[in-house]
Amino acid sequence: MQSVREISRARSTGLFGGAFWAAVAGAGALGIAGCTHFLGDHGAPGAATTENLGPQDAGTPPRVRLLTAQQYANVIADVFGADIKPGTPIPPLRRTDGLLASTSASVGVTAGQVMQLQRSASAIATQVVDNGNLENQLPAHRDYLVPCKPKADHAPDDACAAKFIRSTGRLLFRRPLSGPKVDEFVGRAHRAAEELKDFYAGLSSVLEGMLVDPMVLMIVDKTEPDPAHPGRRRLDAFSLASRLSFFLWNSAPDDAVLKSAESAEINTPAGRARVVNMMLASPRLENGIRAFFDDMFGFDDFDNLSKDATIYPKVSGTTLKDAREQTLRTVVDHLITRDRDYRDLFTTRDTFISPALAAVYQVPAVPGWVPYEFPPDSPRSGILSQVSFLAVHSHPARSSPTVRGKALRELLLCQKVPSPPPNVDFSILEDPKANFHTARERLTAHRSNPVCAGCHRITDPIGLALENFDGGGQYRLTERGVDIDANGSLDGKDFKDPVGLAQAVHDHPGLPVCLVKRMYSYGAGGPLTDADNPELAYLNQRFAASGYRVPDLLRAIALSTAFSEVAETPAAPAPAPRTASLPASQAVAQ
Amino acid sequence: MKSLSNRAYGMALCAVLATTGLGSTRLVNADETTSQLRDRSIGYVTTDLHWSVYQTPNLSVDCPDGLNGNGPRETFKALFPQGGPVETTQLAREGLKVFPQDKQAQFPYILAKGPVAIGLNLDGKVGPNDFVSPTGETGINNQFFRVIGCNAQFRSPDGQLQLFANKLIRSFGFDRIMIEITQVDSLVNADNVEVTIYRGRDPLLLDATGEKVAPGGSQRVDMHYGKQLIQHMHGRIANGVLTTDPIEGVWPWAIYFDVPTVLHIHDMRLNLKLSSTSADGLIAGYTDVDSYYHWLTSWSTHHLAYGRLDPSEFYWALRQNADAYPDKDGAMTAISSAITVNMTQVFIEHTDANPAEPVQRTADAAH
Repeated sequence: MQSVREISRARSTGLFGGAFWAAVAGAGALGIAGCTHFLGDHGAPGAATTENLGPQDAGTPPRVRLLTAQQYANVIADVFGADIKPGTPIPPLRRTDGLLASTSASVGVTAGQVMQLQRSASAIATQVVDNGNLENQLPAHRDYLVPCKPKADHAPDDACAAKFIRSTGRLLFRRPLSGPKVDEFVGRAHRAAEELKDFYAGLSSVLEGMLVDPMVLMIVDKTEPDPAHPGRRRLDAFSLASRLSFFLWNSAPDDAVLKSAESAEINTPAGRARVVNMMLASPRLENGIRAFFDDMFGFDDFDNLSKDATIYPKVSGTTLKDAREQTLRTVVDHLITRDRDYRDLFTTRDTFISPALAAVYQVPAVPGWVPYEFPPDSPRSGILSQVSFLAVHSHPARSSPTVRGKALRELLLCQKVPSPPPNVDFSILEDPKANFHTARERLTAHRSNPVCAGCHRITDPIGLALENFDGGGQYRLTERGVDIDANGSLDGKDFKDPVGLAQAVHDHPGLPVCLVKRMYSYGAGGPLTDADNPELAYLNQRFAASGYRVPDLLRAIALSTAFSEVAETPAAPAPAPRTASLPASQAVAQ
Repeated sequence: MKSLSNRAYGMALCAVLATTGLGSTRLVNADETTSQLRDRSIGYVTTDLHWSVYQTPNLSVDCPDGLNGNGPRETFKALFPQGGPVETTQLAREGLKVFPQDKQAQFPYILAKGPVAIGLNLDGKVGPNDFVSPTGETGINNQFFRVIGCNAQFRSPDGQLQLFANKLIRSFGFDRIMIEITQVDSLVNADNVEVTIYRGRDPLLLDATGEKVAPGGSQRVDMHYGKQLIQHMHGRIANGVLTTDPIEGVWPWAIYFDVPTVLHIHDMRLNLKLSSTSADGLIAGYTDVDSYYHWLTSWSTHHLAYGRLDPSEFYWALRQNADAYPDKDGAMTAISSAITVNMTQVFIEHTDANPAEPVQRTADAAH
């Protein structure tokens, strides 16, 4: 076995180095440009369908997307096993049009990130071929991740290397490697094994190179002429397999999905339907659902969330971690396991609970996660009253009706609340003689400033209905000794408490429409434009007809013509987002 | 970026509120005294135990003669200034620790002399040796305070036993003792309540600081090794204070890992100030001297040396001040005592008591 230094030297002597970095940098530039080029031309016969798959002239632009951090982790876990530690080489994305995922087609890869990716690749490759450690009870990964035994550990074995490269490369690149590509990798493994006098070190070097290959790190939409629609183009079978897989599983296609692409079955309506149904029935669907809702709900905010321990002593780091998990468990259970109406997610009392959360909810618990149902007279109704939403949309030391109202409108109703003006006058609130007790009193005073009133009227009547929950998500009836008035309103519907708000959100026509928009955008890999409106109208109709069942929506998106077809014309610039507003006649709830 | 814009949106407003003090909130339950009651019951788990010692800042009242100075090192040096064979010097003294002799102490032992002690009136009388409580109650029986009051081991804040014996309450599952009060209509007044002592199975729920135990945690009852520790008491709550009738009690309190020591306390009773989040007060009774001594000597001699507590000398002091439960020869075997206890509200789960019962009870959750 060679030393780390020797292996590093071999890798830096030009076996893989320069070309790979150049390729990654090039792909980074490609990503920055938000590429819409037609990258391939691998025809496969299609078949006509009589099923309504949405507007036939709809399509999406082909994109080059950088894997998200979670996608990268899922790919490594699915290909090599969960005990291979990938590190976190991909930084968080910024949010575009309500989703982090929508940014993945317009990010660049800096030189520093390439270094991080290379470090992770090296660590992963080393783990994959390691020989285990009996004393530390670590398995020899090479025994089951390398599908053959070399003739000798200290020398090249091209046949065995080819077997590993072909099988692993197919999963990482999400399509079979061509013969010349396999030969190229085998040649590199041969030279490295020879130089390092270690067959596995040679494999490791090749694997490290694969893991920093732009075609592995980026989801590249390759297109081909669509025989079913002469003159138009569609995603090729493997790009469609990847788009489906990252949409439904947040990970790369598995062997079965790749086989359907290899046989071109995925290009036929019946075959694609079979594949999609198989994917929807897979346990991996939970990963996909979690990833989507974690993104849509803005739960990345949990990564930087902390609460004032003196004010919220029960809200520890464990509590916040569990709060995120609670809502995601609720989502998966409600939408997938029980196949319930999406809108009911905002009124359901069924959830799961852990000991740390139980202390906040003031109920008993046993160790671990257990199903839990809030009683009928509980103010906890739906996920808006769970600790996750309440805590993440509050300040470290107090609640915020404004932030909560803004989050609800933007995240769940796809509305845009304008940012505050730069020079807000806080003189009323700063007046030491003012003796405000509750958030309602403070915000009422604040809204006397007409510059502030416009936006606060949009957000505050929603958030004030959640004031029975403090900034840590704990139930309360008073603030600073004064009873809390939880009256509120949402777009013309009045309510008197959090349960009323939950019902109003449930009944809001924008709720399912927003989910459709976000989910289609998520699947298509980028922000939508007006050109997508016909497709959205179709999906909204399908979603409503299904009784707002999310698996049906996923299926409708995955099978729609637009999902696999290339947009006819270049995408128009994104329209200005709709801004939430109240009817002029509507009074502000106090 | 949504997350930043969300926060930024309210940031300007909240920053001003925070600086003006208007942003702080206070959690107030619907009914501070009953909000944790479930099915007319409430549970508490032990978080702190200290032998009750009434201290004055300069020892003037409780220990006018100062603190004890004859620990193992001092007595050994006095007895064997020239050293000697191990078996007749070190081993002999160590043997006395394990098998103490009920005979006159060889060195002066300083007893607490002040009139004030923490404790309860166990016998309902006011006698010449009784103390007055810090709040003025007469007839306080706590002769144990007389023995330990002037020993640095037991004094706050840094007495070795005060510090480390208490530390194990939170970290050692053996000491996870809980009480469940049932038939409670109010934490202020309830004429007839039942109190059951259990051992819990689960780690304590720490708060966000990591330093304190948070109320609202859950504990499963240990029905395996802990079954023999289950004890029942009858009591009452008056003005927010729980008092129980005396029982022949045991209280597990291990002060050294892997040494499962249990205190035997005659006429054991509880006197606890209750709230929805805590129960604080006393465990009082006549502690069996030998069980106590076994408890104490589960610590090594070098630990006892830090407090200048020579075990065999200490044993003599204990026997001299024991004041109850005479043996057939008339020698007292138990000593009146009090332990200051702090408990935090916890939900007690009887999952092992009745396996047929659903894991999670939901109907009793208020919110």
